Amino acid sequence: MSVKIASIYPTLLGTYGDGGNVAALTHLATLHGIAVEVTEVSPGHTVPHDADIYVLGGGEDTAQSAAAAALHASGALAEGVKNGASVLAICAGYQILGHTFLDAEGKPSAGLALLDVTTDRLDTRAVGELLAQPSEFAPAGLTEVFTGYENHGGHTHLGPDAKPLATVTHGVGNGDGTEGAISGRVIGTYLHGPCLVRNPRIAERLLGWAVGRDLDHIVEAEVEALRQERLDFVTKK
Amino acid sequence: MNTPLRTRLAISAGKLAAATSRLAGRGEGMIIGGKVALAVSPHALRDLAQGRVAALVSATNGKTSTTRLLATALSQSGPVASPTTGANMTEGAVWALATGEPGAQAVLEVDEAYLPRIVRETQPKVVLLANLSRDQLDRMSEVAMLARKWRAMIAENPDVLIIANADDPIVAYAAEKATKIVWVAAGQAWTADSSVCPDCGTLLSRDEKTWSCSGCGRSRPEPSWTFEWSAQQGNTYARAVAPDGQSFDLSHLGLPGRFNASNATMALAACSELGQDLPTALELMNTVSAVSGRFATVQAGALTVRLLLAKNPAGWSELLDIMPPAPTPVIVMINANHADGRDPSWLWDVPFERLAGRTVIASGNRRRDLAVRLLHAGVDAHVIEDPFAPNADLPDSVRALEVIDCAATYTAFQKIRVAALDGEVDA
Repeated sequence: MSVKIASIYPTLLGTYGDGGNVAALTHLATLHGIAVEVTEVSPGHTVPHDADIYVLGGGEDTAQSAAAAALHASGALAEGVKNGASVLAICAGYQILGHTFLDAEGKPSAGLALLDVTTDRLDTRAVGELLAQPSEFAPAGLTEVFTGYENHGGHTHLGPDAKPLATVTHGVGNGDGTEGAISGRVIGTYLHGPCLVRNPRIAERLLGWAVGRDLDHIVEAEVEALRQERLDFVTKK
Repeated sequence: MNTPLRTRLAISAGKLAAATSRLAGRGEGMIIGGKVALAVSPHALRDLAQGRVAALVSATNGKTSTTRLLATALSQSGPVASPTTGANMTEGAVWALATGEPGAQAVLEVDEAYLPRIVRETQPKVVLLANLSRDQLDRMSEVAMLARKWRAMIAENPDVLIIANADDPIVAYAAEKATKIVWVAAGQAWTADSSVCPDCGTLLSRDEKTWSCSGCGRSRPEPSWTFEWSAQQGNTYARAVAPDGQSFDLSHLGLPGRFNASNATMALAACSELGQDLPTALELMNTVSAVSGRFATVQAGALTVRLLLAKNPAGWSELLDIMPPAPTPVIVMINANHADGRDPSWLWDVPFERLAGRTVIASGNRRRDLAVRLLHAGVDAHVIEDPFAPNADLPDSVRALEVIDCAATYTAFQKIRVAALDGEVDA
């Protein structure tokens, strides 16, 4: 049986190369001998309620509000999560998963409340390399430092039911020294890069959940070289 | 024409600074010259413009080439001041007007974000708006923000004639309130940044030629000029159709690709508004074969390369189409310096899968990002820091080529170009 991956509104939430996350899931699944079935969901089309992995990327303000409205109307994402699916949401997608985020005019808009977080504005936009050490709440097997690039104005506050995914060692992240949030199998993060290209272990975690077993990490020289170069770049500065 | 004393002094000071900069080996001195002039006389741009500016050209992609095409076409009616050096912010505009032939009409390329100020101060006869798409998001505005800036600019400068691409919904939104406007159906190959209505956020409907919004009822404006293009089995068909039905064959342009034929259509529409003879304009545009190093064949160390510039996914996806077919190897250089944008995540938006079947030499300071992207795309990549070094470990298929395509981001492109030209300004 194939793992069902739903790429949610890539036309709205895909401004920062986020298509690479679905590419990385597909690529790693192939290496692990796992069959996948990718559905790219466009706005106006039905969001599947039976996907194993939902992926949401980053986007501009107007697109973010449009995506949130459409997901509210659909309700499928919440149903999928209830059925045990995982969600990886980046940047604007992360904010949508919370209780509220700010729209283009700076007014709070309702999110999907799949993560106990709320987002308002940072004083200055966070732009640059982001390094974060997985926290004690990160899923098992994730201990290597996360690397990515952040570009957002959101200051995300975690409530008691969401746990930080990681602790920032370089960059801004949520804005309080933590980075991202996790609740069950729902993960939000500010790591672009794309996230799963630069952090393949997260992709392997999502795939592992979907197939119900832990996957042994597959090392790819090209990816390791890229990770190392980015770590060196930040620590040398 | 009478230039105020303060601005004349400012230009002298700027020229001195530029000469000093050149002597110190710091480049061409345009930006420092313009900066000094503006510091001495903040109104320098307005004083120098005084009705001389025929056209400003802005877009995410194709500014430099369109500017060169239009300036060359306008040369039929006398000298034109038009540097295509990429100095496209306020100081670059000052410098172009200060150092060009005195009194000559000017055609300037302008950075998207600086356009409102430069329109206000120069009051050009026409402004060309061709396309807006994601570009260097670490330091530039997101696309919808730029469109709103252009909208405000048009409202504040009602006498300026706008020539805009009706096929780009973001540009159409920016320009729709213009009182004097010529719409050109110039095509839009990259639609990923205009999937939703920039005003109401509804997903746009598209067919082969037009777009519309079911949310607010907007649709593609009725164009006066139309660009037609098809490419099949190496045969390209390209033409521009004028409002009176007259057709111009664009298949003899010296510049390659769909995008340059589209640029030429925008330039022809501008020529028409500026009272030029259009067949002569087209003949002159056909003579342009390289623009500031773009599409030029140059020596790069041990290799002879055709230099191609692309800075963002929209530009790259068009560039892949003009490369010779597989299995011909190509060099791709990705830098992420300030002028390139620091975040090369956009590599994942470029359809590099189209390079399958050939060897790609991956270079530039973000060659490792490119290598992973090509790995996923199933493209054979050789990661080489300096492919132009005499002892570079290149496959035989690369050395066997007389000329190899080298597609590069801005700073990688400039480095090769400047080294090849030994400091000369133009190609």
